[in-house]
Amino acid sequence: MKLLSLYLHVPFCAKKCAYCDFASYHGRGTDWRRYFDEIATEIRLWSKETDFGLISETYRVRSLFIGGGTPTLVDANHIEKMIDACRGIAPFEDDVEITIEGNPGTLTPEKLAIYRRAGVNRLSLGAQSFDDGLLQSLGRIHTAAQIGQAVGMARDAGFDNINLDLMYALPEQGMDQWRDTLDAAIDLGVEHLSAYSLIVEPGTPMAARVASGTAIVPDDDAVNAMQRAAIDRLTVAGYRRYEISNYAKPGYECRHNLVYWNRGDYLGLGCAAHSLLGGHRFHNPDALDEYLSGGRRLDDTVLTPQDAMEETLMLSTRTVRGLDLAAWERAYGTPFARGRERALNAFERAGLVETGGGFLRLTTRGMEVQDAVVLELMGEM
Amino acid sequence: MKYDQSRIRNFCIIAHIDHGKSTLADRILEKTGVMQLRDMTDQVLDSMELERERGITIKSKAVRMPYKAKDGTEYELNLIDTPGHVDFTYEVSRALAACEGAVLVVDASQGIEAQTLANVYMALDHDLEIRPVINKIDLPSAQPEVVKQEIEDEIGIDCEGCPLVSAKQGVGIEDVLEDIVNNIPAPRDDIDAPLQALIFDSYYDNYRGAISSVRVKAGSVKVGDRIRMMAGKCEFDVTEVGAYLPLGYSPRESLNAGEVGYIAASIKDIADIRVGDTITLATNPAAEPLPGYKPVLPMVYCGIYPADGADYESLRDALEKLRLNDAALSYEPETSVALGYGFRCGFLGLLHMEIIQQRLEREFDLDLVTTAPSVVYKVIKTDGETVMIDNPTNLPPVQEIDWMEEPMVDAQVITPQDYVGAIMELCQDKRGTFRDMKYIEGGRVLLKYDLPLNEVIYDFFDQLKSRTRGYASFDYELKGYERSDLVKLDMLLNGEQCDALSIIVHRDRAYPRGRSIAEKLKEAIPRQLFEIPIQAAIGGKVIARETVKALRKDVLAKCYGGDISRKKKLLEKQKEGKKRMRQVGSVSVPSEAFMAVLKMD
Repeated sequence: MKLLSLYLHVPFCAKKCAYCDFASYHGRGTDWRRYFDEIATEIRLWSKETDFGLISETYRVRSLFIGGGTPTLVDANHIEKMIDACRGIAPFEDDVEITIEGNPGTLTPEKLAIYRRAGVNRLSLGAQSFDDGLLQSLGRIHTAAQIGQAVGMARDAGFDNINLDLMYALPEQGMDQWRDTLDAAIDLGVEHLSAYSLIVEPGTPMAARVASGTAIVPDDDAVNAMQRAAIDRLTVAGYRRYEISNYAKPGYECRHNLVYWNRGDYLGLGCAAHSLLGGHRFHNPDALDEYLSGGRRLDDTVLTPQDAMEETLMLSTRTVRGLDLAAWERAYGTPFARGRERALNAFERAGLVETGGGFLRLTTRGMEVQDAVVLELMGEM
Repeated sequence: MKYDQSRIRNFCIIAHIDHGKSTLADRILEKTGVMQLRDMTDQVLDSMELERERGITIKSKAVRMPYKAKDGTEYELNLIDTPGHVDFTYEVSRALAACEGAVLVVDASQGIEAQTLANVYMALDHDLEIRPVINKIDLPSAQPEVVKQEIEDEIGIDCEGCPLVSAKQGVGIEDVLEDIVNNIPAPRDDIDAPLQALIFDSYYDNYRGAISSVRVKAGSVKVGDRIRMMAGKCEFDVTEVGAYLPLGYSPRESLNAGEVGYIAASIKDIADIRVGDTITLATNPAAEPLPGYKPVLPMVYCGIYPADGADYESLRDALEKLRLNDAALSYEPETSVALGYGFRCGFLGLLHMEIIQQRLEREFDLDLVTTAPSVVYKVIKTDGETVMIDNPTNLPPVQEIDWMEEPMVDAQVITPQDYVGAIMELCQDKRGTFRDMKYIEGGRVLLKYDLPLNEVIYDFFDQLKSRTRGYASFDYELKGYERSDLVKLDMLLNGEQCDALSIIVHRDRAYPRGRSIAEKLKEAIPRQLFEIPIQAAIGGKVIARETVKALRKDVLAKCYGGDISRKKKLLEKQKEGKKRMRQVGSVSVPSEAFMAVLKMD
């Protein structure tokens, strides 16, 4: 029996954040019902015979992730129905991980109770910062105090696996402020933390601010220092870094995200959702209207061994576990090091990579330049 | 029209750049009716994209026009268009040999310029009748009388009654045509003698094969004749002869003594046609070939490499094609550790080099990496042997060198008085030796200097232009070799010498050049995973050092919801970028870096 992860996208937000270029829409409340009807149709389609066969015959669902947008914005009953419908695609494992992403400003005890009833056992909150000034400049709808309240509410509802997303490398964000944010998150005692450095995406208000000089982002050295501060503080507090941007208390690593990095099978449902299934990659349209009018499964590509190798290299080296050398040789018929001896030796000497226990992994320093290391290792691949 | 040598006029138009040569040619084509007004584009004869864009003529071209003079006599005019820049004097001299006269165009407000004189002297060398024409009389600043006086004083040509024209507005064009038929002599070639046809240009036509542009100096040639290339020794059967129209061919039964036109003979290999060679008949050959053209020697060399090594064959084919109608271009294969397989190419000068590079890139769609231009140095070795070095990499080891010599040029700069100080300073900076200074017409000064050619090819033109706001004109010719204290400056990247970046410089220049190149490389080489020391060294002694710091951060924080396409795209882009880089040891060097060293601040 193979394992499958499901991703469900909810592209609605109360307000678009200044840095966001992802598929999310505000002020489209009238579309919510239609949207969940569409997803229900899509779920039904995947519950029947597909060109991958009958999914329920070959797969068990090990994780389900409801991301956004702000899934906690919409009527919780939509979420419950949607999760229930997914059981039609394939049976859920007993210990299935079901995560919902949310904004601290949109939670209520009622919503949380419904999520619990639907089987949601992990809550991921977009906290971003514990500085109200920064939250406002990012265009967040919540305050620092609301993050604490939301965590408390979730604990009361029975959530024992909570993640906070944090952002650094923000304009006007000093090291002290970042440390304060880390400490505040640690104090809340959450099980998991994601610390993302700001990506200034073209076309966002943030990009315009940076271009005009009204927002100045920290330089590379300052960004690295912030990341190292996160590693140091979180390690002391009992978290373990297990991916470039992710930290968890032992046993609380997000199974769903690990599937992306380990290239397990996953099926994305809803607008802008991406899938890797049976050696195919495909995705639904980014635009809500295109999805609502039936657009599905775009850019369906059968991955070549070459694609798979490149993906394995670039995804597995994001994790602290690293690249499984034996698995590589089994899958691609040649040792990973072959033809890369020179680069690997140089990287090891420079303290960028290390090998051990059958895995090749990037060091803390190596992870700061992961793209460049991967590019070199791709070589003539 | 029946063949009658007395009704033929073969002429060219010579002028300083921008004095309106191409515009006058356009008007003449229009006036004689070979070009309809609706077919006219500016610079009809300059068909090469580069020529139009830069407003210059690079290749010689010929076109035949019928002209009915005011007295009713019908003439056949052959206009041979010539390039104006000093780098292309070779092309000019080929074209001049096909003419009996030259129309000298002088700008009514600018007067005589450096190139005006150079062209006049060349025309006089070929015994051409020179007919001055004062152009741009429509300009408010036009001083036709002053300019006429200047021509009479400085060149000694009678300007009495010379045509005053505005080619732009089409004024006075008929006067020019009348002046041509009345004053430029008809050819006096012997039609009964064995065929002698001078090849002044060649090119490839997809339908006709390789074609020779010729001036028939004796005898005649017709379809079916078996012709022989006198120097090339090969023979062909003529398939077509004729005259040139502005945009095509006008086949004829024969080409006769005194005429200008083309010969096609199903010649597959353009290399069989050598510009400057004489064509004769196999059955009744001429005793002697016509005097060949002055052979030209390349003055400037550089390495040209394909940006993508797989394009080596295409680059070779392209050079071969360009060589076909540009005898002044030379090339031979060379290899570089840093750049792989490429060619060492020789040029007449910097503009010629730039034009060839651009033609390769545009007409043949090639991506190139070029190395710093070099001149040819003379190295006298301790064992008495003398070697000529056009590539710094080939310089013998220091201990084998007794002394070295570098090429010097006679440089002449004509400038408005105000800039004399600035130019003297520049020439001083460039290791120049002052020779002469003379006041000429119009408040201008003629300065003469001896300059090392390697300084001229560095950034002399740019400096001259910026220091005189473009008012000065510059001309030079090779003078000879002089002993000089030269050294080879090497660049090391991460401790490894990069052969393509080595240059030969005067010892006094080595320090500033080394520093400047190291700084340029620091800017051009992107940060990599390791720190990269950049060193400039003379014979192993480091004289300048810069460092490219290691890459600090290069990682995408997040892959949204399993969407790895952004990361993939980013990596694809970086992969493409990397492909365009050269590996020097462990260092990736972008192609631009090799060019960056040519630029001064």
